[in-house]
Amino acid sequence: MRLNILIGGKAGQGINKVSGIVSQALVDSGYFIFNYRDYPSVIRGGHNFNVLSVSDKKISSHESRLDGIIALDELTKKIHESELKKGGFVVDYKEFVDFGINLNIALAGALMKVLGIDKEVLVNTVKKSMKGKLTLGESIKAAEAGYKSQDERYGLKKLRGKVSLLSGSKAIALGAINSKIDLYFAYPMTPSTNALHELASRQSENNFMVFQPENEISVVNMALGASFAGAKVMVGTSGGGFDLMAEGLSLQGQSEVPLVVYLASRPGPATGIPTYTMQGDLDLALRSGHGEFPRIVVAPGDPIETIEKTNEALYLANKFNCLVILLSDKHIAESEFSSNERAGKPLAVRVVRKVPGEGVVKASSYEHDQYGLTIENVEIARKNADARLEKYKQIQKECNKFEMVKVYGKKDSKNLIIGWGSTKGAIIDAIDGLDFKFLQVLYMKPSSRRIKKEMLKAKKVILVENNLTGQLGRLIREKTGLKIENRILKYDGLPFRSDELREELMKVR
Amino acid sequence: MKKIEMPGTDLRTNKAITWCPGCPDHMILESSRRALLSLMKQGYKGKNFAMVCGVGCHGKTFDYLNVSGFYALHGRAIPTAIGVKLGNPNLNVMVFAGDGDTYSEGIAHFIHACRTNPDITLLVNNNQAFSLTTGQATVTSQIGYKTKAEPLGVSNLPVNPIYLALSVGCSFVARCNARDIEHTQLVIEQAVAHKGFSFVEILQDCIVFNLEVNERDKHMYRLSDKKRSLGKALKLAREFDYNIGKEKIPMGIFYKEERGVLDDRGLLLKLKKMKKGWKGLRK
Repeated sequence: MRLNILIGGKAGQGINKVSGIVSQALVDSGYFIFNYRDYPSVIRGGHNFNVLSVSDKKISSHESRLDGIIALDELTKKIHESELKKGGFVVDYKEFVDFGINLNIALAGALMKVLGIDKEVLVNTVKKSMKGKLTLGESIKAAEAGYKSQDERYGLKKLRGKVSLLSGSKAIALGAINSKIDLYFAYPMTPSTNALHELASRQSENNFMVFQPENEISVVNMALGASFAGAKVMVGTSGGGFDLMAEGLSLQGQSEVPLVVYLASRPGPATGIPTYTMQGDLDLALRSGHGEFPRIVVAPGDPIETIEKTNEALYLANKFNCLVILLSDKHIAESEFSSNERAGKPLAVRVVRKVPGEGVVKASSYEHDQYGLTIENVEIARKNADARLEKYKQIQKECNKFEMVKVYGKKDSKNLIIGWGSTKGAIIDAIDGLDFKFLQVLYMKPSSRRIKKEMLKAKKVILVENNLTGQLGRLIREKTGLKIENRILKYDGLPFRSDELREELMKVR
Repeated sequence: MKKIEMPGTDLRTNKAITWCPGCPDHMILESSRRALLSLMKQGYKGKNFAMVCGVGCHGKTFDYLNVSGFYALHGRAIPTAIGVKLGNPNLNVMVFAGDGDTYSEGIAHFIHACRTNPDITLLVNNNQAFSLTTGQATVTSQIGYKTKAEPLGVSNLPVNPIYLALSVGCSFVARCNARDIEHTQLVIEQAVAHKGFSFVEILQDCIVFNLEVNERDKHMYRLSDKKRSLGKALKLAREFDYNIGKEKIPMGIFYKEERGVLDDRGLLLKLKKMKKGWKGLRK
């Protein structure tokens, strides 16, 4: 069973409230959901929509053909009616205009009835969602009226499983909190901003601090200063802000003060399409910052992995006094995923470096001797460079302890799909029941030897990436000498939808 | 990790000093060293000092003072120093920066630090030139200054950092003469003791490049120590506009006020009491 319901309206009408209430009720009833959020850079007006995908099996993507539309305005019907399957339903805002500000709640109630969820679940979810609001009574009335107005279509009765909701941004915060972070620095930039908000809202109860300096240059330098002083730090940004941080990454390489950077991508170049998604910044993460120095680049593919990899990032940075870039994108950061799994037990993050206050400690942007004092001696310069390379070897060894790649699908299939990050959900859902194996790359740098082994075992290798030039493909070619001939690339700012990807894959196979 | 003690006495390191012979940077180093020693006699703990340097001639101070520190990037000494303070609020953080660093590359950070008022001290060695890159104009270079990059001479107005700092909320603003080691030492001590962002500009000669601004002692006069209003301080700040002229150059503390400090919020207050930095906090 799988349903795709589009909820659309103007920015400010509260479509996220509709999907939020219904998603919560569905997971509480044991169903899996995936909620894709599509919105332009507009605060009030325009056209926003969510696609809420529902299933009794685990899903992590949405599809292109719709079973239903919840229209909060006229434009939503006009734009999306052609995507509706034959016999699909439309719940029209016109029936509920009298509810004013509670229009969205009434529509949430209507959708719950269509899905066949108990009224009691609806009322409880609305109560939880609107807790403390003066208008709670009116919201419940609106929800009940919406519920009453529709006929049940799908009869989604309560299932047994225990499912919970999570977005990639919340997962970043959980990973950081599990690692007992001390300071998070960020300047607002979509799609990294939600992690900033989530961490800021949880700082007091978890004994850490969130600080927003004047720009990303300040963010990265402040973080390095704090890390030098002994704090466990992390910064967050998107491509443009990350560019500004480049000098700081290089400073990390010379000063060897631990630093974790959360990079949430969106389509570039420049300001690009701020609220859409793209995997266009892998090259940037791998190479940004002048000079040669060790770094780790990790790319989780869903929120549970994001919790785990954020913890690994903080662990590795503080163990090796190195740079770790946690690469994600808008599709992971802002979509709502559901899961019946839990993140693994977090590793303890320890500060092993010498810190000021305990003795004289010097960190430097210049090449330096064992005291941290500036040198211009070629012997020491060469030794320091060799030491940086040696450190990378130690890092490689340690990373081998973690899941650097994962394999899904038919284990003995000769058709190998390779992908990374946010395409994971659509790929797994697309190959369900088909003759494909999927190799997900999580550690981009260092990279796993298993990539080459799997490629050599396969008859056909297919690269799936949400970018223009196939950046992982290039990285793999650099590391293995193997070129991937079959590529499915999407670079219009939208993520893959699993039904469309399935068609593409069948064409290539 | 093996603990290595750095050789040197009285806060000096055994590193050979590579400033030009006769450069006032030597004198600023000496004022700073004496100020730190004096503060340690007054009860400040030497191990709790942390210096952050920018990049330029002044930056070499990093190698010559035997205290903890971070030799930061050009223009970024201020955010790095604020980070050090947030990373451990028990440290007494001092920034050693230049005019190119603070007023050209890093002016945004300077303005924001004045506004947010972190409890750190900023010393700016101002010789009105980028001397380590062979003498190009900074934003405080005088009109008419000819350099290899500006062969026709500087035509833009110099920025007045004292006036700027006062107008964006700096809570301690002072100007010193590098050659006056005793006075500079005393002002640095007061700047460190001040709770909030203390800005001390130290005017110095560049004996190789911007020679026109050298030998200005005769124009300088000492401000009285009495407390004055922001309006009065702003008026005094305008007496000298960094161009070459006959106007008087006021020296000393222009303005001082106590107000809310960046690192006196929430958890940071708790950290200060525990005296162990973030690692002292149970999570």
